[in-house]
Amino acid sequence: MSTPEAGGDLARFRAGVWSENPVLVQLLGMCPTLAVTNSLENALVMGAAASFVVVCSNLVISLLRSWIRPHLRILVFTLTIASFVTLADRILQACLWDVSQKLGAFVPLIIVNCIIIARAEVCALRSRPLRAVADGLGVGLGFTLALALLGAVREVLGSRTLLGIPVPGAGFEPWIVMVLPAGAFLTLGAVIGVVNHLRGRAPKGAIG
Amino acid sequence: MRRFLSDSWLVLVLGTCFSVALAATQTALAPRIEANRRAALTSAVFEVVPGTVRYTERRVGLRSIYECFDAEGTSLGWAIPASDFGFQDQIDVVFGLSLDGASILGLSVVDNKETPGLGNRIVEDAWRAQYAGLDTGQAVTVVKRPRRDESREVQAISGATISSQAVTRIVNDTNRELVPELRKGR
Repeated sequence: MSTPEAGGDLARFRAGVWSENPVLVQLLGMCPTLAVTNSLENALVMGAAASFVVVCSNLVISLLRSWIRPHLRILVFTLTIASFVTLADRILQACLWDVSQKLGAFVPLIIVNCIIIARAEVCALRSRPLRAVADGLGVGLGFTLALALLGAVREVLGSRTLLGIPVPGAGFEPWIVMVLPAGAFLTLGAVIGVVNHLRGRAPKGAIG
Repeated sequence: MRRFLSDSWLVLVLGTCFSVALAATQTALAPRIEANRRAALTSAVFEVVPGTVRYTERRVGLRSIYECFDAEGTSLGWAIPASDFGFQDQIDVVFGLSLDGASILGLSVVDNKETPGLGNRIVEDAWRAQYAGLDTGQAVTVVKRPRRDESREVQAISGATISSQAVTRIVNDTNRELVPELRKGR
């Protein structure tokens, strides 16, 4: 995995989306990934909320980086992240009431999402603001795409709809298991397998 | 003290700034959030007491219930929010009672986290419709096969007996407490 200083801002952005994708490669943030991907809409809103938080917190941490005392950094991270999460939660409740009710506790729980604190620690604390924002955008987009992929697969197979619209030609019996927690694990495993195959970098001996 | 401040000034300043920002957001958005919450309740109230065009809040003990009126201002009945635990998490319902509390007018499931495809079928119209017209004189029971002309039985959803019973329990518990009060108030 490359250090945050290596390469340009664009390379940082692309790493977050693909080669260092937080969900499909780093396997971080599994709790929201498994919990809210039972429909595409939930996945997209969750991804957007987390992206907003990671971009804002990366920017603030990067601007403050020369004043942050090393032993107080986690406190500053948590304070910053919690503030933006609360902001995102309020905005969702004001503008997207129905989805915010479906996501329930998972929006406030972005506070303890390890992807965001990891970006603050690994990148924002030692990068220029522009690079930190590029990093946040890349990681946010990578998280959103991974969630959307899982959400789309689970919604089509489990409910025969996509974004609530019936999928034409889906004459099969809905796979109820796909909208249950077990379906999240099955889909995640399959998607990670496919992504690893595409990246051509499956660790040797990992698959029996 | 000096060392304490030189260490922590950033945390104190940030904390203050974020608090002000969040207070401003809350002030700006709270009316919209409250309106959303109210709209969700309103659509449920309109559904469970058919013909309602407006409603007023009334307190019975610790409980908020809603008296429903039609366009001429005639009282149609009561809409009652109630909740209790289902199979996995809390189930929130609103159900309608006639003015004298003698029969159920309708039931709407506002929020539930029951198993998709099984327990969460309690939101389906066909299942909820069974509650409309039930007597409150005796407890409603959940059965596998309802007898014909029986006005206090609800057919269970197969594979979701616990969720079916939970909704019925919410209705029964609330009625046991509330119907005597409604009678007394008349």
